[in-house]
Amino acid sequence: MIDKELLSRVLAEMLGGGGSFAEIYTQKNRNNSLKLEDSKIENAVSGFDLGCGLRLWRDDSIFYAYVDSVKKKDLLDAARALARISKSETNARSIEINANQSLGDRSLVMPSAVDNDYKKNLLLKVDKVTRDYSQNIAQVSAYISDSEQEIHIANSNGVSSYFTLQKVILSVSAIAKRKKEIRTGHKSYAKTLGYEIFEQKKPEDVALEAAATAVKMLEARGAPTGEMPVVIGPAFGGVIFHEACGHGLEADAVIKDASVFKGKIGKKIASDVVTAIDDPSLKGHWGYYGFDDEGCRSSETVLIKDGCLMEYMHDLKSAVKLNQSQTGNGRRQSYRYMPYPRMSNTYIANGKSDPKDILGSVNRGIYAKEFAGGQVDPATGDFVFGISEGYMVENGKIAYPIKGATLIGNGPQVLKKIEMVGNDLAFAPGFCGKNGQSLANEVGQPTIKVSNMTVGGTET
Amino acid sequence: MPENFRDIIKYAADKISKRGVDEFEVYAISSKENQIEVYQQDIESLSFSESSGIGIRIINNCSVGYAYTSFLEKHQILDCIDRAVANAQATNSEEFNTLPQSDDYLYPAKQGEQKLSFDNNFFNYTMNDKALAAKKLEYATKARDKRIIGISNSSYQDSEAEIILINSNGFFDSYKKSWCYLYVNAISRSGEDTSTGDYFGYGKHLGEIDIENIAGNAAQKSVSVLGGKKIKSRKADLLLHPLVGAQFLSLIAGALAADSIQKRKSLFRGKLSEKLFSLDIDIYDDGVMPSGLASSPFDGEGVYKGKTAVFEKGVLKTYLYNTYTARKDGTKSTGNASRSSYRSVPSVGINNFYIKPGKSSFEKILSSMDEGFYVLDIIGLHSGANPVSGDISVGAKGIWVEKGILSYPVKEVTIATDFLSLLKSIKEVGDNLSFMPLNGFMGSPALLIDKVMISGT
Repeated sequence: MIDKELLSRVLAEMLGGGGSFAEIYTQKNRNNSLKLEDSKIENAVSGFDLGCGLRLWRDDSIFYAYVDSVKKKDLLDAARALARISKSETNARSIEINANQSLGDRSLVMPSAVDNDYKKNLLLKVDKVTRDYSQNIAQVSAYISDSEQEIHIANSNGVSSYFTLQKVILSVSAIAKRKKEIRTGHKSYAKTLGYEIFEQKKPEDVALEAAATAVKMLEARGAPTGEMPVVIGPAFGGVIFHEACGHGLEADAVIKDASVFKGKIGKKIASDVVTAIDDPSLKGHWGYYGFDDEGCRSSETVLIKDGCLMEYMHDLKSAVKLNQSQTGNGRRQSYRYMPYPRMSNTYIANGKSDPKDILGSVNRGIYAKEFAGGQVDPATGDFVFGISEGYMVENGKIAYPIKGATLIGNGPQVLKKIEMVGNDLAFAPGFCGKNGQSLANEVGQPTIKVSNMTVGGTET
Repeated sequence: MPENFRDIIKYAADKISKRGVDEFEVYAISSKENQIEVYQQDIESLSFSESSGIGIRIINNCSVGYAYTSFLEKHQILDCIDRAVANAQATNSEEFNTLPQSDDYLYPAKQGEQKLSFDNNFFNYTMNDKALAAKKLEYATKARDKRIIGISNSSYQDSEAEIILINSNGFFDSYKKSWCYLYVNAISRSGEDTSTGDYFGYGKHLGEIDIENIAGNAAQKSVSVLGGKKIKSRKADLLLHPLVGAQFLSLIAGALAADSIQKRKSLFRGKLSEKLFSLDIDIYDDGVMPSGLASSPFDGEGVYKGKTAVFEKGVLKTYLYNTYTARKDGTKSTGNASRSSYRSVPSVGINNFYIKPGKSSFEKILSSMDEGFYVLDIIGLHSGANPVSGDISVGAKGIWVEKGILSYPVKEVTIATDFLSLLKSIKEVGDNLSFMPLNGFMGSPALLIDKVMISGT
């Protein structure tokens, strides 16, 4: 998108103010989305973004600027402004961009090859299938969104990484109503691939899962309150690890003394049955990338092995600061943002227990199947999660659905209370917010059992 | 702003008008933004940007298409127009899909002056002043209490923008907007227990922000819950901090958008003219409030704004409308078409939305409580509250109240209720209105709530 000569020149100009590291992140992104609601295609939006983020490092400070442009004048102006603001004596040096790594991840069916009619029919089919599921379905909304991106990162260490990415997401929300009861069901299907993803899973199946949840929840009774054993279901259940522990393992929190896991490398932080991994290199997964947003090749990072803390997730800055190697977790929402250590595809690895035995071991407790999401304070590890599909468990069996339940607890404490880990690992896509940036993330988990947690409900 | 920004917009409008579409709109934003984060009195990061982009909305045969571009080269603008036109062929045709005309306006005249959303004092502050403010805030917060062991974030952010809207009905207007924001998060420790507390301040320029006030509030929020313990599950009265009240109010505000009502996704459907509060509470959505961060002369599709009484004496008076939803209900737009940037289609949103303060001071309400929970902070609002079903279940921390006195800190509990019960159970409204930015600008005084389920051990 920008020639090598100009890249070198911009990097050199940036370093003119005495900085030690300079980087240019160039991104082109085309995206399209269609939204259905009330059985109508309500919105069709196409977007085009092209621009550069310039990052300069001087001592411990980061200076950042972005421009909605790839033009020579705009880039040089921004580079000079950065040099000026990072100030002091001139320390010009010439920059050679050597190492050239590139990755062209071409989808079988590129988003740009798929027209609106295809997407429109897909959404209309989703609407019909959802409504046909039950006469109690009162409303359906669904959207399909895709993007095609080109990213090029060049920095003063000589790195030059170019890659392309395609993403497709289908999301379905169903609302079921019976008398005064209103319940919702939600399901997303998302991959870092092209439209061939619907050969693996039919849009109708995504719709049916959303509809089934909404209708099933019409039977829900008020959730219990107080401490009890909690079984957390596979796939999206992994969001609990993502929030409660994952964020505390991102190294920027550790550096600022804002993580409960600071100083715990090599120490036992979880029960023996827990092994947790972050792996951006899982092809096709929603949190997949070949290079991170600093141009570092992605690879698997084992965070916790058999209960022992192995490693934090790093971006370049935290790796240098803590004298560790980069883990390929430097991510950003777009060229408009600075990178930070972020999770990608984060999961708890398979254990040995049969999910049936896990449920069978609970006398009175909760089975949390789907979550509406959660939030954590990484400095304390305190978290909450809203359960969107949950059940009361009595005598080892699912008794009835519950509504309005929340789980509250503390990440490090919960890690120690994981008693059983199932063998049914599955993944689910989502979005994660941090520092005002929202990113595609995938979570994964087999069925697990936590010996006790506080459940917030309305019934005593 | 690019020197020729207005020319670019006119160029786009001119090219679209030659396409023979029924209606069109070009929404353009040009902005400058700064963000500074300090850590241990050094600049941790400093970022700045100048950016501009346009969003094009086409209406053809009552179908809407949208496209945007951040790259304002002529060929990209032409491509953007092509895409918007093509997208208008994919969406459903509906008679209510039209751009606003003067008889759609509830508030026909422009009530807002330029100073409503912009203050020239904004230019009086240099990057250095801004960095210094964040450093002062970090220092002042840490100095407040020995138990504060660190500041995980002390930051300054600002934005200066010009919004220009042109449409095929002859609307062509613009306004400028400035805002700045300081934020701090303090980590405190006592023995084994760690706690955090954050606070913020905002204004149209740096001089409007009271740094000491932010520092004091953040420090107090952080240390006052140190050593917090769980309590037994029970029903108890809640005293909500104004900013906790504002967060609950944001849920309710979203469910009052006509869009949610028309799509049967809101509990407020069919409740117009009903008294939903037990008290005579007034709630306003004010698009032209002089001190409001969400104030501007016109909304996201060029409809002039005003002050709308949503609840009067506890009775639901109106929903909030943009042009589309207003036409559908045979009424007028309340000026609530909102859009977060040129990248998004206008939807129905909130301006400055607040509960009118009552007469009781915070101290008086507190002293009237026999037993209850003073809620200082809630977490998990976006996942723990379902705007459709109205269920609310969130994590909370705060201080237990006994015989009118703040007695001991409480944490790791949840509070659970639902929208309609929450409205009904407000027993008292304080006199201390505070605002926070939350999909609009939400304001609430302290609220005393009757008997809510708290879950602990």
